[in-house]
Amino acid sequence: MRNDRLLAGLAAILGFVLIAIGVIYIAFDEHNIPSFFPGHSSHASSHHHVKHGIAAILLGLACLAFAWFRTGPRERPANPA
Amino acid sequence: MLVLAANSGHLITYFQAIVIGLLQGVTELFPISSLGHAVILPKLFGWNLNQKEPYYLAFLVATHLATAIVLFLFFLPEWRRILRGLGRSLRDRQVAADDPDARLAWLLVVGTIPAGLIGLLFEHQLRSLFANPTAAAVFLMVNGLILFAAERLRRRAPGAPERAEALARGDESATGPEAEQRLATLGYREAVAVGTAQAAALFPGISRSGVTMGGGLFVGLTHEDAARYAFLLATPIIGAAALLKLPDLFGSDGDGVRGPALAGAVCAGLAAWASVKFLMRYFETNSLTPFAWYCLLAGLAAFLVFVL
Repeated sequence: MRNDRLLAGLAAILGFVLIAIGVIYIAFDEHNIPSFFPGHSSHASSHHHVKHGIAAILLGLACLAFAWFRTGPRERPANPA
Repeated sequence: MLVLAANSGHLITYFQAIVIGLLQGVTELFPISSLGHAVILPKLFGWNLNQKEPYYLAFLVATHLATAIVLFLFFLPEWRRILRGLGRSLRDRQVAADDPDARLAWLLVVGTIPAGLIGLLFEHQLRSLFANPTAAAVFLMVNGLILFAAERLRRRAPGAPERAEALARGDESATGPEAEQRLATLGYREAVAVGTAQAAALFPGISRSGVTMGGGLFVGLTHEDAARYAFLLATPIIGAAALLKLPDLFGSDGDGVRGPALAGAVCAGLAAWASVKFLMRYFETNSLTPFAWYCLLAGLAAFLVFVL
């Protein structure tokens, strides 16, 4: 149970981080994104890595969905009559 | 013929747009690869259309969007139930065992994510590498072999024979909640595997519906249920890919091709509707084998024409 909570917590944090990364990819051009991001360009450019952003947001949502279900009520097996 | 893209220096006539639209509507849903045909046939017809040019990609956005809309409308009752099931599961924070709609919704989600990610990250590179007629002809032959293999390896996955037997004993209703109940017997791992296989369609000549139907057969679905699952799985990914590129059509890339794109989209939509209607009846009693033969022979013929 404790491991479940830990896993869900980590998934939630990862989900928010990935969504933030996705927003950065979409909002900033490839020159202005952090240099450690894949796709960063040291030259001035107006190109935005929108696809990278969408991919990161999708993964983030998947992590949040995982955390959401992981912390939800467990289905109990039906009582034998 | 009317030349409609003269100001951008490219030629897409209304006639070409209608032919490509009809071709897209049919080949997107038949397990014979739309991308492969879109690469091979213009070359065979001697049309000077550059598949990698932005104007042509902008044109294709419209035909793909039309196909996705038609697929969504064709399965609208199913989508309503699936979306309600998705909402119920999010509200209850669990996928109830007696809620096949919710389970099917999440099977489609987990099946769509890997293919979507692969498409987002590698579509451009793969298209640049392989969007030439000879490569497409070779991949079309490979697609034929995949379809043959799918028929041969049918129900070979662990647990697939048991599922197939259980399905055969169950309700035979082709549509409605019973059909979803049958699809919801898939496992999440199987859904991920079948969904990921969609990414193979990024190679021109490999059919998205072909590989997903083949995957469905492999895990024990009937031909009809495998086709329904393939179409449900294809709808969000085709629609999302088209919506993502829709700004291209309305931007400068679409200058001069919007008229033909509209004509192509209408034709693609009509052809897609007729195709899905035909295929859902066809797969009640028939197999993938004729399409496998077609891909093998058409691919071989095109390959010989381009190489010799």
